[in-house]
Amino acid sequence: MSKEKRSHKAQKVIERMGKKLNRQVVGSLVACVHCGNCTDSCHYVLANPGDPTYAPAYKADRIRKFFKAHYDWTGRVFPAWVGAKSLYTDEDLEELKDTVFGKCTNCRRCTINCPMGVDYATFNRMARGLLVSVGVMPEGVAVVSKDQWEIGNQMGVLKEDYLDTLEWMSEELQGELEDPNAGIPIDKEDADIVYSINPREVKYDPRTIADAAKIFHQAGANWTMPSEGWDMTNFGLFSGDDDLGGAVARRLYEKVSELRGKKLVISECGHGYRSTRCEGQNWAQWDIDFVMESSVITMLNYIKEGRIKVDKTRNTTPVTFHDSCNNARSCGLTEEPRELLKLVCTDFREMYPNRAENYCCTGGGGAMSMSEYTPRRLKSAKIKADQLAATGAKIVVTSCHNCVDGLADCIKHYKLGMEVTQLVNLVANALVIEKKVTVPVAEPIAASDLQGRRILVTDDEPDFVTFVSTVLEDNGATVFRAYNAAEAMEIARREKPDLITLDISMPDKDGSEVFADIREDDILKRIPVCIITGQPELRKLIYDKPHRPPEGFVSKPVTEDGLLLNVKKLLKVAHHQPEGVRKQ
Amino acid sequence: MPETVQAGSGTIRLMKVDITDVEIEAFVYYASHDLNLGSGYGTAIAMRGGPPVQEELSKYDTLETTQAVVTGAGEMKAQYIVHAVGPRFQEENLEDKLRTTIVNALAQAEARGITSLAFPPMGTGFYGVPLDVSARIMIETLSTYAHNSPKITDIAICVMDNRESKPFEAAMAAHGRA
Repeated sequence: MSKEKRSHKAQKVIERMGKKLNRQVVGSLVACVHCGNCTDSCHYVLANPGDPTYAPAYKADRIRKFFKAHYDWTGRVFPAWVGAKSLYTDEDLEELKDTVFGKCTNCRRCTINCPMGVDYATFNRMARGLLVSVGVMPEGVAVVSKDQWEIGNQMGVLKEDYLDTLEWMSEELQGELEDPNAGIPIDKEDADIVYSINPREVKYDPRTIADAAKIFHQAGANWTMPSEGWDMTNFGLFSGDDDLGGAVARRLYEKVSELRGKKLVISECGHGYRSTRCEGQNWAQWDIDFVMESSVITMLNYIKEGRIKVDKTRNTTPVTFHDSCNNARSCGLTEEPRELLKLVCTDFREMYPNRAENYCCTGGGGAMSMSEYTPRRLKSAKIKADQLAATGAKIVVTSCHNCVDGLADCIKHYKLGMEVTQLVNLVANALVIEKKVTVPVAEPIAASDLQGRRILVTDDEPDFVTFVSTVLEDNGATVFRAYNAAEAMEIARREKPDLITLDISMPDKDGSEVFADIREDDILKRIPVCIITGQPELRKLIYDKPHRPPEGFVSKPVTEDGLLLNVKKLLKVAHHQPEGVRKQ
Repeated sequence: MPETVQAGSGTIRLMKVDITDVEIEAFVYYASHDLNLGSGYGTAIAMRGGPPVQEELSKYDTLETTQAVVTGAGEMKAQYIVHAVGPRFQEENLEDKLRTTIVNALAQAEARGITSLAFPPMGTGFYGVPLDVSARIMIETLSTYAHNSPKITDIAICVMDNRESKPFEAAMAAHGRA
């Protein structure tokens, strides 16, 4: 059939393909030797053993044939020999749609099992994008894409509903912790953490937002959530629309930069983590000036650094872990969730196969949106169901919102009687909430004496840091918490506080050495330092240094008023001594 | 970069705001042929405007590309919505159809006595019209309209983000130089 007889849409698909071919895609399109190694790696094939149309190599050939017909010399010279065949009609495009959207979740399990390194999911995604560009796509893909293009998130959550939900979760948290300062700061500038979420959390699972807020609050994090550009998911990853991918990523990156956030923390979502952390910068052609991190790593670090305490005996039900394809196969995020899980649960049971070899949940980064393929999806989920049942666990944990829905559907369909949850829920449940230390005083001290003052509190004892921080914050100060020497220096250099309190005896580095580092730093040497130690006999370590001595020295135990007296003196703030309180 | 262009007795201004939440007499919705509000801005219209908008649309049959109709805006800040069916997904004669759609939207709004009208970047995003093409055609068409004793004297172009605003700023600057 001549070009003139080809449908307008088919012609546009072929023309656009030329713009999408890069070395990675071409390499995968030409490298396949049809060895068949990919076949048994695909959950669709395993669930449909008599149907060769699910084999990755077969599916790849649906795309490869028109690549060869138009862009590869072998197809021009030996078209019949290499199976080159062009696209001609709109029906051809519909058939292609059925393959690239309906018979593959782009999980990439076939890719890691291909000896030739053929990345089928990459050019399957390209084919999806070509079809989307001419309006050929499942209805669900159209709905979700349009929502994200025009509303700014995949689920069409309006700004007022998003903000209402955050306010609601703030109130819940304040009530639970009996602390009016526990809440979700919106659009706070210069925060250490900007936290971005999946719109599913707003619409169907706001407890994950509250749980994350609880963890940030307990860790004393300087954090915020953006009022706009908050959706870290990106349907461009699923639909193959690179323009959408770039637009969504750029909205989020620009918002973090506008707020001058230091780190973008991405809540648990495989699709979101891969698109924001790994792919978005290429789509958006955007250089970012902040760090990006999965919330799994943030939570793990909080525990390791002693910023939060957890009690694993609060999560005793047997759990297993499902690796999201995007997290594990495409981003290598496999060990941190397990490390975290073992810290917050007593009975973790590994699923087999696992990590990069795990099977897809069948929710596949957006596949749940295509209701016409649900029967196929659930049939293929038999592989996942068998995997889940074999663990004997009652709860399956996953760090991905798509997987939560995919697994829940699988569990319901195959009557497995399991629950699905995420790490943030388990960590929040295991949190040990430390009660504030209150020291009775005759009358309250003026609450705003330290308003605007920024103080770094350093001590390896979390209880003591909590006590000092609470006293100072109750009096209006902004407090940065450090639990070891390295953290103290990092925060001091970054925040340049008005005052540093320093313990002498710390595990990683002696406080006297930290003191010397501060005094030898051109900028930090101007900041007053108050030593607070339980071993006053070690003061020699400080005073023998060839530096200006510390401005304050307080021995433990410390009373609330004694602490305030010293801090205000060092900051040259008038101290309103309440009557009936004995001076130290 | 200019954010407002004076064209004849009318003005064309560029605003970074959600078009479905803007204080203006009427705005254009890039509608589907069957006039179902659907997702995207359609979700916002359905949620913020309430059922009356879709109910009013149900009295119309399907529209051909470039046609437009006007309905009330329910409980939204605007009073009217101009539902215009523009070209999409690389279809043939896209630029001509886009011009005609804009002209028809203006005509339908005029017929309803509207004097202040907001446009989205017509056809961009989901429908795939490149931003620079949309910006060029919109500024050309709207300027031509504004120079010919328009009844709609206040025209706004509402963009979502910086990515959308830059091509329009460039097109407005180019128009200013011409």
